[in-house]
Parts: sequence; structure tokens; C-alpha cells
Amino acid sequence: MKEYAQDLSSLIDNELDEETVINEILEDAELQQQFSRYQLMGDVMRDESNGFDLRIDVTDSVMAAIANEVQKDNVVPLASKVKPANNVVPFMKRFGQYAIAASVAGVVVVSSLMVNQNSVTDPSVTPVLSTVPFGGAAAPVSLQVAPSSTKDEIKEQNERLEALLKDHQLQLQIQP
Amino acid sequence: MKHQLFLVGLFSISTLFVSSEVTATTGIIQPNVEKTEKHVRLTALAYLENMKQAYKELNFELLYVNTGGSKIEPKQLIHGVIDGKRIAYFCYLNGSMRESLQFDGKISFYEQGNQAYSLASRRDQSVFSNITSFDFENGTQNYEYIILGKGRIAGKKAIAIRMASKDEFRYSYIVWLDLNSYLPLRLDTISKANLIIDQTMAISLKVTDTINPWIAQLSEKRIPEVLHLAKMDVEEAAKWQLHWIPEGFKIVKNDQHKLMMHDIEPVSYIMISDGIVSVSIYISSTQSSSSDQQSIIQQGGTLLYTKHQEKLEVNIIGEIPIAAAERVASSIRVAK
Repeated sequence: MKEYAQDLSSLIDNELDEETVINEILEDAELQQQFSRYQLMGDVMRDESNGFDLRIDVTDSVMAAIANEVQKDNVVPLASKVKPANNVVPFMKRFGQYAIAASVAGVVVVSSLMVNQNSVTDPSVTPVLSTVPFGGAAAPVSLQVAPSSTKDEIKEQNERLEALLKDHQLQLQIQP
Repeated sequence: MKHQLFLVGLFSISTLFVSSEVTATTGIIQPNVEKTEKHVRLTALAYLENMKQAYKELNFELLYVNTGGSKIEPKQLIHGVIDGKRIAYFCYLNGSMRESLQFDGKISFYEQGNQAYSLASRRDQSVFSNITSFDFENGTQNYEYIILGKGRIAGKKAIAIRMASKDEFRYSYIVWLDLNSYLPLRLDTISKANLIIDQTMAISLKVTDTINPWIAQLSEKRIPEVLHLAKMDVEEAAKWQLHWIPEGFKIVKNDQHKLMMHDIEPVSYIMISDGIVSVSIYISSTQSSSSDQQSIIQQGGTLLYTKHQEKLEVNIIGEIPIAAAERVASSIRVAK
């Protein structure tokens, strides 16, 4: 694969007319990726990329992520009028609804909470822990970089806090 | 002569009643002084008691904003009384439709894109419900009521009353109420450092003699079915004991349950409440090696306090100062 690197750059510079090499490149996905990266580098160096083309590198990973993502359907399905044979509704499904509709009672959304936490705290006491992962929310999507364990831990902790907060809201709603 | 004076006094009181039919019908404490001016000084406690009654008995429509942290949310509350039963309609004014309706021991939630549901709840869940159901008389043990002065809120003449906390384990409040109807117009939560950390403020208040016909209609509509949360039958329900809670607080719930959508294992749960705020305390075991670590997240008045100690994780959520959460967390022991 290394040996084609030279050919690739020749191809980019329009200096390559060996058909075999071109065919080889067309068949090798790895080489194609490299080709697009070279093109991108060239664009960046020539200052032609205007920022937009930079996403080429992550297209695949993003597409994969989209494909994996569970479809969240906010639309009431047409078939909902048809009652199921029995009247039993899965309990966990119900629980999910609570969580969402808890916002009616003014649930504090944790995601925004994490960002706004430094606003008003008593400075005399323990410093407020910053739970925003390093690099912030705009960390680039990339398959090459394995997420660090601390980030995972923070995410887990945030999820737990969110679950607790929602439970707190629910407990307030059902308080006798 | 004395007799005559008394008659004059009686007459002026009766005219006072006629001139203010709204307040008169609700039996709100009227100043028993012979003055033709309507607004005679009551004590702070009397104002608060009047507010309590007005909030439960009047028909009104309230538009208000809630400022906790940096987020501002405009909301609407329509309250009415039908045959002695209170009905409250609540709605978010911005963003997707989120509404709730509380009537006759049930509260129904409606949200765009989600199936509506109801819960059985006798506790008033509207905006000023906590402050208007507080036992102000007994509250004097922990709060001092001070009249701060008069002002104008939502175009109405209002009076400000400070509920000053007597210790560092609860927040202080400033309540603004309408001098005409005694309805609450603004509630500030004040930290020890004298900062407003949470504010609910009316933008518009409309008091009517009769109930809003639209919500009267709503009361006749069929509501979504009532859901019942499955009770967990755990033998060792009271596994944990709180050796200290702030004065005036009571334990209102003590159980074990599962958190929705998250953990499979149940958590021990204790709720304490002083009538104004309700605080949730979660106790669970953790594998985390970090010991004696605490983290604090605060948005507006709501505190999320987490403490790790010897394979235990304690989470406290509620509108209390950090000092109170810290002391409660460190007082948790295994029940004997």
C-alpha cells in the first residue's frame, strides 16, 4: 500500500497515466480514503477548503452513527387507534413517558444545567465541580480517537444525575 | 356619644365590604380599624395568611416568568373554583405545547408528541403552591416575617414581605403580594449571601368574579387514564437513618425504588419536606473507588449534591443550601 503513495500524489497532480495503477486505486478502499485525504490536504494548503470540505474525513463515521441511532419517533403512529388485543401496556414504556412529560412540572434539564452551573454559587463553600468534558460539547467526531475513560465516567455520572433529577421530579408529582 | 361612634365604625366597615366584593366573599381578614382607606396595615403574618386563602379561593389568570439560573420560561396559570373544588390549568407559553390540568385529586399531563397521562395527586402543584400552603404560624420557629415595603408588580400595587431564615439550613424568601386581591405576584429565593437565586414573577394577573368558562368546560372533559406506580415490596425498607435534618423538616417518604430508565438495582429513597421545599435523598452502593469526594451542581435554587463515602453514594436534590445538604449527608447511618 505504501508504494502507491507516490503514485497517488502523482495522480493528484495529474501526472499519472498508468491505467493499472488507477484501476488498483479504484479497487482499494483504503487507497481511496488516502486519496481523498491527500486532496483535502492539498485544498487546505492551497486555502481552497473554506472549512466545508473538512467533514470528508468523518462522513463515514457520521453515517455509521446515524445508521446505528435508534429512530426516535415523535409522531403518533397512524395505527395507534387500533387497540392491542389485550390491554396491558408495558410498564417500562410508561416510565419513559414520565421522564419526558416531567418537563411539564418544570424539570431542570441536566444538559443545560451542566453548562450553567458556574452562575450563582456561594463562593465561600466547596468549589463547584466542572462536569463539562474537556474540549466542550463541540469535540470533533472521529473514529481514530478512542474516548478517554474519564469522559465516559463523566457521561455516566451525568446520566445518573439526570435520572435522579427526573426521579426527584416524579416523586414531587406523586407526593401525597 | 360612644354608641354613635361605634355605629359610624360599623357603617364604614360594611361599606368596605360592599366596595370590595371579591375579597369579601372569600372571608379574608379585613382590617378592623375605622378608616375609610381600604389598605390598612396588617401584620406580615396576616398578609401571608390572606395570601394563602386568596390563592386557594379566587378565580384568576396569571402569566408569569420563572428565572432559575440563566433560563427564562414564560408560563400561564388559570385557576378557578367549581363547587368548592379547585381547578388549575398550567401551560408553557414558549416552545412545544406542555400543559397540565389538576382537578378533583388528579393531575393530567399533556405534551406534544407524547401520550397524555394522569396521576393521582391531592397536592397542589401550581406555581405558588408551596409558599401558599405553608403553615406560616408554626413557621415562625424558623422564619421571621418582615414587611419590606410597597412596590408595583405586574401593574398592581404590591407589598413585599421577607421570610428571613433564622438559620443557615434554609433559604430566605421575599414574597410580593397584590394589595387588592392578596394573590402572590412574585417570589424570590434568597441565599445567605443575599443573592436572588431563583425568581418567579407575575407579568399579568387578572382576577375575575366567575370562573373562566374555558376551564370550567375542561373540568367536564374526560381525562387520560390514571397511572399507578408499582410499589416495590422490599423487606428492609428503612435501611438508613438520618440522624439530623434541618429543624421544621419532616420525613415524608422512606422507601426503596428503581430509577426510571436507568439503573436496575433499586436505590434507598428518603424525602424530607418543610412545606415549602421537598428534598430527595438517594442512597446507593457504588463500586467507585473515589472516597470522601463530593460534587455540587447548582442551577437556580436547585442543588444537586453528591457525596461518596465508603462504597456509598449519597445524592441530595432539592432547594436547600449546601450547608444543609452536607450536614444531612454526613448524618446518614445504617438503621439499627
